Amino acid sequence: MTRSSQSQFLRGIILLVVLAMIAAACGSSTSDTTAAASPGTTTAPNTPDTTAAPSTPDTTAAPSTPSGDPIIIGSTLALTGFLAPTAAIHKVAGDLFVEQLNANGGLLGRPVEWVVLDDESVPDQAAALYERLITEDGVDAIMGPYGTGTITAAMQVAERYGYVMPQHTGSLTYTYGYDCQFPAWPAGRNPNITNSNLVFDALESTGTPPATIAFVINQFPGTMYVAYGQPDTDEGGAVSIAKDRGYDVVLDIQYPSTTSDWGPIAAQVRDANPDFLFLGALGVDGPNLIAAMDALDYQVPGMFLQWPAPGPMLGAGPSADGAMSVTAFEPHPPFTDDPAYAAIAQAFTDAAAAAGLPYTAFETQASASWAAWQILIAGIEGAGSLDQAADCDYLLNNTIDTVFGPIDFDPDQNNYYGDLSYVKQIQNGDWVVVWPANGAPDGVSVQYSPGG
Amino acid sequence: MNRPTVVRLTGFSVLALALWFLPALQGPLGFPIFYLLFGYSLLFWFAQASSWNMFTGFSGYFSFGQGAFYGVGVYTTGVLASKQGWPLIAAIPVAGVLAAVLGLSLGFVVFRLRRLQGEIFALVTLAVAFVVAAIARVSSTIDGGSGIALNNVQLPEFLGAYPSMMFRLGLIIATVTIFAAATIQHSRLGWGLFSINDDEAVAESLGVPTFRHKMMAFGLSAFFAGLSGAVHAIQISYITIEDVFSIRIPLFVIVMSVLGGMRHWMGPIVGATIIHTLTDRLNRASDLELFGGNVTVSLDHLNDIIIGLLLILMVLAVKDGLWPRLVRRKWVGAGAFIVGILVARLWAPEMSLIGQFVAGELGAVVILLPSSEVIDRWRNWRSTTGSPDAPSDRPGVGASR
Amino acid sequence: MTLYGQAIISGVLAGGLYAMMSLGVSLSWGVLKIINLAYFSFILLAGYGSYELATSHGWDPFVTVLAVVPVVVIVGALLQLFFEKVKIGEFESLLVTFGLLIMLESVARSIWSADFRRIPSTANPYASSSLKIGDFAFPTPQLSAFLTAIVIGLLMKYLLDRTYFGKAVRALAQDRDMARAFGVDHRRVAVILSGLAAATAAIAGVFIAMSQALFPGLAVEWFGIVFPVVILGGLGSTLGALGAGVVIGVAAAIASVAWGPSYAPLATFVILIATLLFRPEGLFTRKASV
Repeated sequence: MTRSSQSQFLRGIILLVVLAMIAAACGSSTSDTTAAASPGTTTAPNTPDTTAAPSTPDTTAAPSTPSGDPIIIGSTLALTGFLAPTAAIHKVAGDLFVEQLNANGGLLGRPVEWVVLDDESVPDQAAALYERLITEDGVDAIMGPYGTGTITAAMQVAERYGYVMPQHTGSLTYTYGYDCQFPAWPAGRNPNITNSNLVFDALESTGTPPATIAFVINQFPGTMYVAYGQPDTDEGGAVSIAKDRGYDVVLDIQYPSTTSDWGPIAAQVRDANPDFLFLGALGVDGPNLIAAMDALDYQVPGMFLQWPAPGPMLGAGPSADGAMSVTAFEPHPPFTDDPAYAAIAQAFTDAAAAAGLPYTAFETQASASWAAWQILIAGIEGAGSLDQAADCDYLLNNTIDTVFGPIDFDPDQNNYYGDLSYVKQIQNGDWVVVWPANGAPDGVSVQYSPGG
Repeated sequence: MNRPTVVRLTGFSVLALALWFLPALQGPLGFPIFYLLFGYSLLFWFAQASSWNMFTGFSGYFSFGQGAFYGVGVYTTGVLASKQGWPLIAAIPVAGVLAAVLGLSLGFVVFRLRRLQGEIFALVTLAVAFVVAAIARVSSTIDGGSGIALNNVQLPEFLGAYPSMMFRLGLIIATVTIFAAATIQHSRLGWGLFSINDDEAVAESLGVPTFRHKMMAFGLSAFFAGLSGAVHAIQISYITIEDVFSIRIPLFVIVMSVLGGMRHWMGPIVGATIIHTLTDRLNRASDLELFGGNVTVSLDHLNDIIIGLLLILMVLAVKDGLWPRLVRRKWVGAGAFIVGILVARLWAPEMSLIGQFVAGELGAVVILLPSSEVIDRWRNWRSTTGSPDAPSDRPGVGASR
Repeated sequence: MTLYGQAIISGVLAGGLYAMMSLGVSLSWGVLKIINLAYFSFILLAGYGSYELATSHGWDPFVTVLAVVPVVVIVGALLQLFFEKVKIGEFESLLVTFGLLIMLESVARSIWSADFRRIPSTANPYASSSLKIGDFAFPTPQLSAFLTAIVIGLLMKYLLDRTYFGKAVRALAQDRDMARAFGVDHRRVAVILSGLAAATAAIAGVFIAMSQALFPGLAVEWFGIVFPVVILGGLGSTLGALGAGVVIGVAAAIASVAWGPSYAPLATFVILIATLLFRPEGLFTRKASV
């Protein structure tokens, strides 16, 4: 090839490639987005009575096809970054919710589209993207993101524009002062108090509670809050409550979220030899510590994990049996006694499997997501309009039906409504609710004794 | 002050003043408020990339430590403005000064040692970023691991509502940073830095006060990085060690500066514009509609692949940055820009302004990419015997010179 | 003192893994003057490959090395060949490999989703097992990683000191142009070296899959491990990386026990600063060696 035809050829290739990029830039105009079906999506749920907006559970009429201009609901999720593993669950849950909503007449008779942007797990991206969704894309409503930092950032934007913001996973309850934010995570305004009391109640219900407890806490703000209370206050958290309730705290350490060598921590726990380990865990901290302790031929008689990824715990071997955590919903009776929710749980499992997730149970995270959507839709349907102030008013002044039961938002409690969580435990290779008893299936109860 | 500086000062002031009133025009012109915040984020990257480039680009000393100075800025706001209740306006200059102090202290130790050049210098600066992060994490006065929520900071309300205020703050900081970079470039300091870049030993023998020059540039670079970080803390609104000290900012400023061109102060501006607008517009998790909806492609997993590919292509094709090319072929570039916008308006009439801008800049990039350097690369590729290394014009790090 | 002893053992073994993770970047930057962030992706993808084989096809996690390493070696060598052909510069390599990192992370996400992937204990008995000597336990994955790292280190030392290839590598590291003038074929040396480095990255990935959970964003989290090792160990030095990994692991372990795990990162970085002030070419390098 001569030099000029070589360069022509090269220009041609580059031109082709970049024209494709221009086409990509074209595609970012918002009004062309299709309905929010995720690729490779799910079979439709096979119970035509499933109400996706159970605030008024009297959908006697056959669901009609939604028509008209779509209602656009915008949000961000951590599709990449360190929060991505769990955010993936919220993507599936949200997609499923919207799909069912559209299959059942839509919202105010119109189809719903969910626009999701990637906040990359960082708060400044989340803030900028919510600003974009609200002021550039002009979305009709918003849903909160996943993760404490991004939720805080998004909430400031929501407050600035007066948008109702349901959020499913914020852990810093004391910072959420915005009137129109609605928390779906049902652990109440003071998880630093209620969470540990719940666990200790569960342990004491066995009649053989531990005498000594070790606290090993992830330095993530949410887990620190539950363990130690709000910083710069003497409210207290799990550690001080344990002492108040007469337990002997034999170890109290915190570890960076980026810990890669669990050996020293395992050695310290073994050295303290507690009857019970309270692990302020996130993600896969649990299996990591359990493996490190197993390598030392050491098992704790019982342990509680704060917010673990539930799937990996099930694959963590026999030492993980009996490990406990908190939950708000598990896909077994009595939660699935309601056929509507049983169907939703099944649909979610199918959708999660189709999306390639390794753990597909409709449990804490997914149900919190579901509740957040229910709250959002309830507000809009209840007020009968997309006017954010009206929706906010409706939510504040009415009881809202959710997967967790009826909810009354209490403005004095940052819109929290008490602790509706349960303690779950790994028994016979799966998670099951064990406490309080009204959440446990027949014959299931807390299994713990200091003897192991 | 000599005449070129006066001209430059006037030009910058006029431009800044004009942009100052942009927020006031939002109502009359009817563009979405988001554009002000988008403008802020663009200005933020201008400041970060410029501040990094004014040292590394000019002197050739590869600093990997942008994260340290940026982080100091962010946490100064966090500690002073949130925890201690200072008004933001007061915290910003303190942040700049603290960052500068860090930079100067580091420079004082490092620049005296002849052997701390090249890769070692890069690693030293990277290490400093790690250490600052570790200290902030351990000290509960600073962060202590719980992060700082910045929702109670006294903001300068006189600058306008939130997006307008951020825009104006960003504008001030970006303007002074870029002005500083431009002034340095055309000053004795800049001349000295470039000579250090080309050959430090020769520069010294010519009487260039290399130590002093490096200190000044490094200190200024740190100062502006800190200033910009202090304002950005508000945008982040919930600062944590992992996020603030992550590799994201250091890597991106490098990308932007390299792409735009490191030997001129306009380089980082051009690079930041392209990278930021591209990544913003390519952030979608839904389907892409081509040709008015007849063809649907699921972009879910392709966004990052597209960005990665684009990055690779641009970096390989652009030897010393886009700015020199743009300067050489400005009319061609401008024409392609306009063509790009027109094409976008034709194919997707509802595209937002930013999207159209992206289309325009892609057009310009397409036209400017092919050049003799690219042809050389292509020919090298096709030849089976290796030809001698092409000497790199780019300020390398101990690269074969 | 069993507590400290056990912690130190854990730190030492962890150091071996850190060293293997860092070798690619260290050799690449030190000898080839290429900042190759793609090694992080190699580790991650090797880990995912091991995960897939062990979980879905029942392979023993150790055996997955046989399948995973050749693939990664080929990819690594091809990448280096590409760099040679386009005559890539130092900054450019950083950015191009950053682009690759983004792309490969996205590929991982498409195939395995963003969620955690951990080989279940039914398929991986090694995560919880260990070798016991007296009062002390040597966890299997970490011990294997450490021993492998030692072997690799000794192998590299042998290669570098006793073979022509090694001499070529050292010559290139010292002065590229002179080496070429003396007939060193830069391309061949570079490709072979990067293949070796890719192999260590792949092995590291297998051990990580054996002991931890994977998710696509993990690659970027490893920066905070690899770069300190590279800094301390000196660019281009294999035994240096090993030594640095061990020093970091042990310092973190001791700090963890003495003051609490939250101080572990600080211990690492104090050592870093001290090293940079007093011996910036790395703790373990002689000034002109590889």
